[in-house]
Amino acid sequence: MTSAPPQPTHRPSVGLLFNPSTPEVMEQVSDLVEHLSVNPGQMFNDLGAHSPFGARFAFPASLLQAVAGLREGLMLNGHSFSLSLPSATPLDDDLADAISHVGDRLGGFAWLAEHLNVLIPPRGPEAHSEGGMALPVNYDAETLALLSHKLQRLRQRSGLRLLLENPALLTPLTEMEMDEPTFLNTLHRNGHCGVLLDLHNLLVSERNGGLSMEHYLARLNPEAVEEVHLAGGEELFGTYTDSHSQLTPEAVWSMARSFLPCCPNLRAITFEYNETYFQFIGCQGVRGELERMHHLAQSCALSPAPTGVPC
Amino acid sequence: MLNDFQQALAEITASPRLCVAVRRNPDLLAERYQLSERERRQVLATANHPSMECTCSLYRANRLAPLVRNLPRTIAALTERLEPVLNDYWEAHPWPHRYGYLESERFCRWLEPLTADPAAPAGLRESWQGDRRDLRERVGLFLADSAIPLPTWET
Repeated sequence: MTSAPPQPTHRPSVGLLFNPSTPEVMEQVSDLVEHLSVNPGQMFNDLGAHSPFGARFAFPASLLQAVAGLREGLMLNGHSFSLSLPSATPLDDDLADAISHVGDRLGGFAWLAEHLNVLIPPRGPEAHSEGGMALPVNYDAETLALLSHKLQRLRQRSGLRLLLENPALLTPLTEMEMDEPTFLNTLHRNGHCGVLLDLHNLLVSERNGGLSMEHYLARLNPEAVEEVHLAGGEELFGTYTDSHSQLTPEAVWSMARSFLPCCPNLRAITFEYNETYFQFIGCQGVRGELERMHHLAQSCALSPAPTGVPC
Repeated sequence: MLNDFQQALAEITASPRLCVAVRRNPDLLAERYQLSERERRQVLATANHPSMECTCSLYRANRLAPLVRNLPRTIAALTERLEPVLNDYWEAHPWPHRYGYLESERFCRWLEPLTADPAAPAGLRESWQGDRRDLRERVGLFLADSAIPLPTWET
């Protein structure tokens, strides 16, 4: 494996979202990878409050040791898809603590991002069941108050900077009190979180009837953006999805080139792909994406200290 | 209201049958959920969104994935019975376990009466027994790696 490049301080770092193919990929592209993102929920198993095995959480030592070794010399951030923060339920404190524990076992997260989706229905019949779904959030005052409270509690428990990721909407909601960038701007302005801007998710939402990418980015506060995701998707049953099955489409690159240089607090640009499509993308595909990301990162100047309200 | 709004969105996603029923009879929403007039229109618009077919399919694919991964011979042995069996299972257990092994173990328990049925597809009982044995072995290895004692399995 080639050695990791030094951590940049004057521009966003370039990296990958960890998946089971990452160790193989790193053998060939580690000279281009400056950070890794890890989904903490993939680093342990939630056996439920009424676990037949006694403990609710199981932390597989071999996996954690392997990932801890892989991230040596690299910045690591948490990219969670578990907490379902917008659900009309209290914060799952034990789950939040398990995520923090994973960060500790891996040598520390630089920040923790969560998805702006309802992942768990409020009245699932089994404790700690999850819906296997990513539902849209109603952007109104009630949800804003709920999320603000839960983000504050999560930050207190985890001690981490928090980001929320804009969702990939297959069925965007109608008649909302505020649009998504306004909702995210408000959370940021009130000091609750920054934004993980997934530019491919914007394309998915646009193609399925949501805000246009141009309109969205014209409304989003660039100071709120601290991480960006790039990815590709495909159509399924006539609907464009965020399948992470392709390289980043040109429409997304175009938006990235025009918007990211305006984001003074952008610290990381991350490429996501699903490991089940790795045989089609290949190491050369990933390398090509990383090279383009480095070129993009060179055009983005990072502020010495975060501007705007700290999260 | 927010609670019911989210629950309604979740249930029309988890159940294509309910989604179609809501399209045909929007009054169902008032019978099942406490929604504001705006929320009712939002849920109805979602039920009628052209991407709901894809959304429902993705949800079912996500539920099927751990069963295929952990119980491959059983799923294959069900042949043409697979779809009605899964529909019945998902009606009985609308929400999955987060942990794929537990979801698969629960499906095994639920499926057991069918495997003992003389009218069951050929080879189902043997496939089910083999998959369940392998599943429990993998759970044992995983628990050992996580420093959790091996359970005494219910038969």
